[in-house]
Amino acid sequence: MADFSILDWFWVTAFLLLMVGGAGFFYRLARRSESDFFLAGRGLPWWLPASSVFSTHTATDTPMWITGVIYGHGLRGLWYTFFTAWTAVGAFVSARIFRRSLAYTQAEWQSLRFSGLGAELLRGWLAGWQFFMNMFILGWVGMAMGKVCELAFGWPIWIGLVIPSLITAIYTLAAGYWGVVMGDFLQGIVAVFAILLVSMVGIFAAGGPQRVTGRIVELGEAWRLDPFAFTGWTGGEFPALWWLTMLVIAVVGGFGMGTSIDWYVEAQRIQSSRTVRDASYGLWAGGLLTLIRNAFWAASILAFFAMLPGITNSAEYELGWFRLGFELLPTGLLGVFFGALLAIHLSTISSHLNLGALYMTRDLYQRYLRPDADPKQLVRVGRAATGVLLVGSFFYGLMMEDITSWLIFALWLMMAGIWLPNILQVVWWRFNAWGYLASWIANLGASWLVVWVLPSLDVMPKIPDYLQFWMLMAIGLAVFLPATYLTRPEPLPHLVRYYVMTRPLGWWKPVHDEAVRRGLLTETKEPATNERRALIRRTWTAEQAQAWTREDWIAIVLSPVVYGCVLFGLVRVLLWQPSGFWLLALAVVLTGVIYWVIDPKLCAVSTDYEEQQAAYVARLDKQMRWEE
Amino acid sequence: MDKALATVIGMSIAYLASFLGMGLAWWSWRKRKAGSPPDEGSR
Repeated sequence: MADFSILDWFWVTAFLLLMVGGAGFFYRLARRSESDFFLAGRGLPWWLPASSVFSTHTATDTPMWITGVIYGHGLRGLWYTFFTAWTAVGAFVSARIFRRSLAYTQAEWQSLRFSGLGAELLRGWLAGWQFFMNMFILGWVGMAMGKVCELAFGWPIWIGLVIPSLITAIYTLAAGYWGVVMGDFLQGIVAVFAILLVSMVGIFAAGGPQRVTGRIVELGEAWRLDPFAFTGWTGGEFPALWWLTMLVIAVVGGFGMGTSIDWYVEAQRIQSSRTVRDASYGLWAGGLLTLIRNAFWAASILAFFAMLPGITNSAEYELGWFRLGFELLPTGLLGVFFGALLAIHLSTISSHLNLGALYMTRDLYQRYLRPDADPKQLVRVGRAATGVLLVGSFFYGLMMEDITSWLIFALWLMMAGIWLPNILQVVWWRFNAWGYLASWIANLGASWLVVWVLPSLDVMPKIPDYLQFWMLMAIGLAVFLPATYLTRPEPLPHLVRYYVMTRPLGWWKPVHDEAVRRGLLTETKEPATNERRALIRRTWTAEQAQAWTREDWIAIVLSPVVYGCVLFGLVRVLLWQPSGFWLLALAVVLTGVIYWVIDPKLCAVSTDYEEQQAAYVARLDKQMRWEE
Repeated sequence: MDKALATVIGMSIAYLASFLGMGLAWWSWRKRKAGSPPDEGSR
């Protein structure tokens, strides 16, 4: 158990007072309107959503999970964490499209992209699902905090589950998303400091970077230093096909809306950004920060392995990073470390409390029960929903002794069978509400059957998770494709309105042509004379910038490469391997190229769109009241 | 609590929440669209 001095408790108390006190500062802003309570008035510069993406996805269970995969699989385990790469593509595709829709939530977006009864059923479905899902996430993150407090102080698990979440609820209830995002910024700084500190202390406690790698080689475990140490194409615990599946899920998933459970949280950050450009950069930087964090964790866990290589019980080695902090830091810094753990925890709890309440307030209460509710009423409902989520999360947390199996099952429910529909709804005009709804319902049943029921009844063998993914995707395809083609396309006028507002990427030609025919868009043609288009265009008219061009594709292709270079380059630098410096240098150069290529275009897109935003918001308000 | 039972209860709540949300949407749609032409998006 950790030995805390008065100085340690001082740091912890000061940090909590700062968090709760800060909420008072934003209380007045939050109560102004629903937009302020849930989106900070759509006015945040890119670095605030970026820090919020990072802080929200740095939860108490994250170091346990990453420690587990690195200790168990070596550096190849980092590929588990590379699903974050969807933000590399999403920043330049789905973030731009979603930000322009102005939808508060993914559920609301359904009623903009689709129309009629199907769209409403989808909105209700997703809102119900997300309200539950946020409660569920709060439960498992709270449970992880319970375990950390048990490790550090020997407290019963319920104390760590309940007390920090109650403290978080104070500032989330008072200051809404303003409190969440400002808290995330402060908590992010504290968390980064602690992650760097503990990771470096761990590496040097093992004798320094070269001693860590030397010791691992001495143990005959050199494969742990190779991220590409696969066990064949299909066999073993780490086949190459698993890796390829993960890459496809992450990178191609960025074209759509909904990879795993992340998109829903990111959607709120995208929408709270003040411009389309801020939304793109916020998502991109937030994703990159999480990978930088993972690199520090990975290097320190290799150090932990070098010191204690023989742990076979996963529940024991998953606490490795926490042990580095609690066992190696001196008195006085322990409080800072525990304060950082609270920061990590509070940021995730606050985000999910506010996000779950948003679905309840905007998509269920306002849309279906009281469309004429005034702003103050909506804020009150938002606060009540936050309270319900909090209490529900305690119930879930106490039920979850084993976090991992729940987590994996929930991820499949959220991913496998609806991964492709999540992309198609963005890029294919013909995909309709009935097809998407069918994919959701089919996936609930199919994933339950394929993952658990049929293998336990010996009807089918238990297959590797990457094969489960492809099988569930094929089953989903067999359901949603007929459902789409057996029902009518969405009405063209509705699609045209959506298309003009969001200008999506992909197969939208019939809709585009109709928009041009109605005079809502002008066809952008390149000059046919000797005035040739520059290889990289740096000056854009508004209409030119709306089209998807080679500049976008350059950013889309280079962006995941930058992420990969940073993740693996930084690990290698921390382990003092020269190739790491080259990878980081390449990442810096490519980032510069992306910025040089895409920034003028994003500026043009943003400027043009912000001129029209007020009119779009007014129309959205009318739709919420069923007046359109 | 038994792990399997806990999982069944937990996930049943998830399904219930989704179907309740969809049911609420259905109820609200019928209430607001009563008397108007059938939905264009369905056949």
